[in-house]
Amino acid sequence: MFRILRKSLKTGIVTGQHDASSTSTPTVAGESAEKARSFRRSLAIREVDSGSCNGCEMEMNALMNPVYDAERFGIHIAASPRHADALVVTGPVTVNMEKALKDAYRATPDPKLVIALGDCACDCGMFKGSYAVTGPVERHVPVDVKVPGCPPRPAEILQALQTLMGHAGVAVKGRALKPKG
Amino acid sequence: MEDTSEAVRKIIEGFGSIVLNVEAVHGLPVVKVPKEDLPVIAHFIHTAPSLRGTLSLQWAVDLRPGERRFQLYYLFSLKERGDWLVLLTELDGDDRLFHSITPHIHAAKWYEREIRDMFGLIAQGHPDLRRLVRHEHWPKGAHPLKKDFPWNTVMERRQGEYAFRRIDGEGVLEVPVGPIHAGIIESGHFRFSVAGEPIMQLELRHFWKHRGVEKVFENLSLVNGVSLAEKVSGDTSFGHSLCYCQAVETLMGVEAPPRARYLRTIFLELERLHNHIGDVGAICNDTAYALAHAHCARMKERIMQLNDRLTGSRFLRGVNIAGGVTVNLWPYHLDEIVHELDEIEEDFTELTQILFNNASLADRLETTGVLNERTAWDHGVMGVVGRASNINRDVRRDHPFAAYKDFTLKVPVYHYGDVQARMRVRIDEVHESIDLIRQAHERLPEGAITAACLPAAHPGDWALSAVEGWRGEILYFVMAGQDGMIHRCKARDPSFVNWPAIQFAVLGNIIPDFPLINKSFNLSYAGNDL
Repeated sequence: MFRILRKSLKTGIVTGQHDASSTSTPTVAGESAEKARSFRRSLAIREVDSGSCNGCEMEMNALMNPVYDAERFGIHIAASPRHADALVVTGPVTVNMEKALKDAYRATPDPKLVIALGDCACDCGMFKGSYAVTGPVERHVPVDVKVPGCPPRPAEILQALQTLMGHAGVAVKGRALKPKG
Repeated sequence: MEDTSEAVRKIIEGFGSIVLNVEAVHGLPVVKVPKEDLPVIAHFIHTAPSLRGTLSLQWAVDLRPGERRFQLYYLFSLKERGDWLVLLTELDGDDRLFHSITPHIHAAKWYEREIRDMFGLIAQGHPDLRRLVRHEHWPKGAHPLKKDFPWNTVMERRQGEYAFRRIDGEGVLEVPVGPIHAGIIESGHFRFSVAGEPIMQLELRHFWKHRGVEKVFENLSLVNGVSLAEKVSGDTSFGHSLCYCQAVETLMGVEAPPRARYLRTIFLELERLHNHIGDVGAICNDTAYALAHAHCARMKERIMQLNDRLTGSRFLRGVNIAGGVTVNLWPYHLDEIVHELDEIEEDFTELTQILFNNASLADRLETTGVLNERTAWDHGVMGVVGRASNINRDVRRDHPFAAYKDFTLKVPVYHYGDVQARMRVRIDEVHESIDLIRQAHERLPEGAITAACLPAAHPGDWALSAVEGWRGEILYFVMAGQDGMIHRCKARDPSFVNWPAIQFAVLGNIIPDFPLINKSFNLSYAGNDL
């Protein structure tokens, strides 16, 4: 117990040690911005995988690691859509996941936000037209913000979520764990 | 190869009058037999003491429009060293029936259900012909990999429900979990039957994420297929794209230059590193050891940032192409890798020493989720999970690819088969990977990183390729079509083989330990569902 605490003290704080997002901030349209206003201080997210390759899931997980530590901005992951303010949907919506996605959307209390994460969720990516895919996400549930990328980097996801929450003024200024080159 | 020809000789000795044809396809022995006799020969390969072949892959090919025939291939890995042998049988014209080998070889169970769903070919004598890939709402007669099924078909929905195996009795409860899980995990369904806390039965219902990957491959050219291979399973982007590229290179008759093969080795080991370190942390997290998880997540993030600086992608995407790699590493890159890994190794070693001294952690990990060797062998379990159950297989050593034949590789093998063993395999492999990268760094040859030209592949020709990804053996079967297109691409992530085994590892454990056991397997849903 003391050894791991000592190790943590020795390691110090790593939060924020990443490159800043280099993509432009997504725009949040009128009604979405209105809805998002209720979640300025805290946003409970339910992640729904509708057929992604697991890349976006890994980056969502990375968002919770000590380096990005999204919790410091009030962003946390809810275990059920019933506890969520926002759904983060990844993947092109497969025929098999279509119903589960709609169920999760219905189970989320209003007002709610939907974030389409990754190229597949935004426009089906390479799977556009496939017999097994019925997406993109916005065909089935209304989408408030799209975060493109394959997969988007955690810094980009964090930036999008902060924009959504109206934190634009406190955008993270990152610095890599190790300097470049 | 000597052992394999020995195997072929044994088969001819015993079944000479039956065998139709023996040939070598790109160095791989292929024995063609009539469909009626296939189960007998498969059983012989599986049980003969000198062969002891496990089924590594079974797949079908629709040869239309060229010929009205279906082909069924069975890939066996023989004995300890894992030499390969392919059995081939053909179904002519409108023949839709073949003989199941599942009654003798458990490993064929999902493959034969998959072939039935995707091709409409029915394995006679299969003990369980419920749908696997096609969920119950799919219309009848939709078999996507048949050539007369358009890739962009819009399927109607019908009613139907999967018939789970049920245990009836006083106090027996069913606990359904998924497809959407509580954490940030992929989608899949687990159905537990419990009496009190211990699990009596677990049944998986997967394939929620079926995206039609293998059909989409058939729309792509051999050269362009790489970017789809990267998306088969995101966490193994490099392993899958490498395996695909190797198959295509065999088809085109080119070899990646030595420097490219060394670079591929370095990248593949980097991918293994960040996944293994992340998994060790995730296992700790499922025992509520959040601090250890935080440390591992930090180290994993550091490697992913390193990947990003080296290649512009945290997942090493866009690096592999047919014939080589697109990214060269300059001396300052290489120094940076070695320096980073020195620090990470010290960091990680310190952490694992703390972990192994933690009695409450050991209490959760030891004897939890035991997969015994016999069950593992019967199901052809491979990779990290196999090596924790005394299955001594590693493609890097048994069928060296990229630059692995130049290196000495220690393959960690444990025989307890519990969560602790799976974690120990990962920890040992972290050190092994770092060591391999150091070796590759010292001996990295100069020269080109892509093949000079890519000759056209011969239509109808096929190649098989294997890569030891961080989860285990990835296999790709690629058959060339007309005009440089893909006629058929079978991608096999180790998850497809290891998923059924988890149903045995959880028996007798309590449901609260399931996330821990599942995490110690850490199988891909996307790579399984395709």
